[in-house]
Amino acid sequence: MSAPVVTELLDEGTVAEIAEQAWAALVGEEEVLVPLPGEPPTDPVSSWVEVVGPWTGAVVLTCGRDTAEQLARALLGEHAPEVVDGEDVVDALGELANVVGGNVKALLPAPSVLGLPEVGAAPSPGSPADTCRVDLLWRGQPLTISVQGCALDLTEENGVSL
Amino acid sequence: MRALVIDDSRAMRRIVSGTLEGFGYETRQAGHGQEALDVLHEGWVPELCTIDWNMPVMDGLEFVSAVRANPAWRAVTLVMVTSESEHGQIVRALAAGAHEYVLKPFTADALHDKLALLGLLPQEVAR
Repeated sequence: MSAPVVTELLDEGTVAEIAEQAWAALVGEEEVLVPLPGEPPTDPVSSWVEVVGPWTGAVVLTCGRDTAEQLARALLGEHAPEVVDGEDVVDALGELANVVGGNVKALLPAPSVLGLPEVGAAPSPGSPADTCRVDLLWRGQPLTISVQGCALDLTEENGVSL
Repeated sequence: MRALVIDDSRAMRRIVSGTLEGFGYETRQAGHGQEALDVLHEGWVPELCTIDWNMPVMDGLEFVSAVRANPAWRAVTLVMVTSESEHGQIVRALAAGAHEYVLKPFTADALHDKLALLGLLPQEVAR
């Protein structure tokens, strides 16, 4: 039996709903994600978690670096240190990908394993048919969440027997 | 009351610790399960541990099993606070000895309500 593609498993509306719930709880109740595409950021940064299972790929969050810093401040809220440093930004962006990814994984076929969050240049996407992408605006800034099949077979690399 | 907040995300540790301190807890933090075990071995044994699932070095499930294997730590209440929302994962955590499961994303109210159910809120913040 061939591996499923993600567009058979979930749709853009579901991914957007998961992101909205994560934003409301973590970033702020008043924080709204608008389902509109914006101009791609000139200085993009991505955070992602890998999912390895019957469907293998990654849940990737991409935004501009300024947006990432604003996200970190909003997420930490009253618990923010006086100076939000680069490590705080990487950590916060990774945690957002982790929360969105964990909830996406719950909708994918089991058993699946969620990886630890990573931050950097986005992993290469797989085929468009195996990608579910939502373009959003947060505080007027573009932000993309992509659930994308992996071009590589991660199963053996991660030692997961499926 | 004392709580040990275990999460590899510094941001999440700050948020959970800050929320618990608002409930009247004294808190400490650990970035993974082994670091948390070190705190317990030190003799700082809290009433409550909040535990992320996916962490480097030692994950949350291994930590729960290690705590439950030591009778001296039987009184510690273990609450998973994690984005692992699959039913099978929740069952695994509870079977290993976790008392409760809070899904990320969560609100301060959700954590408050779970702790109230467990009788783990100082009197003045229980409502």
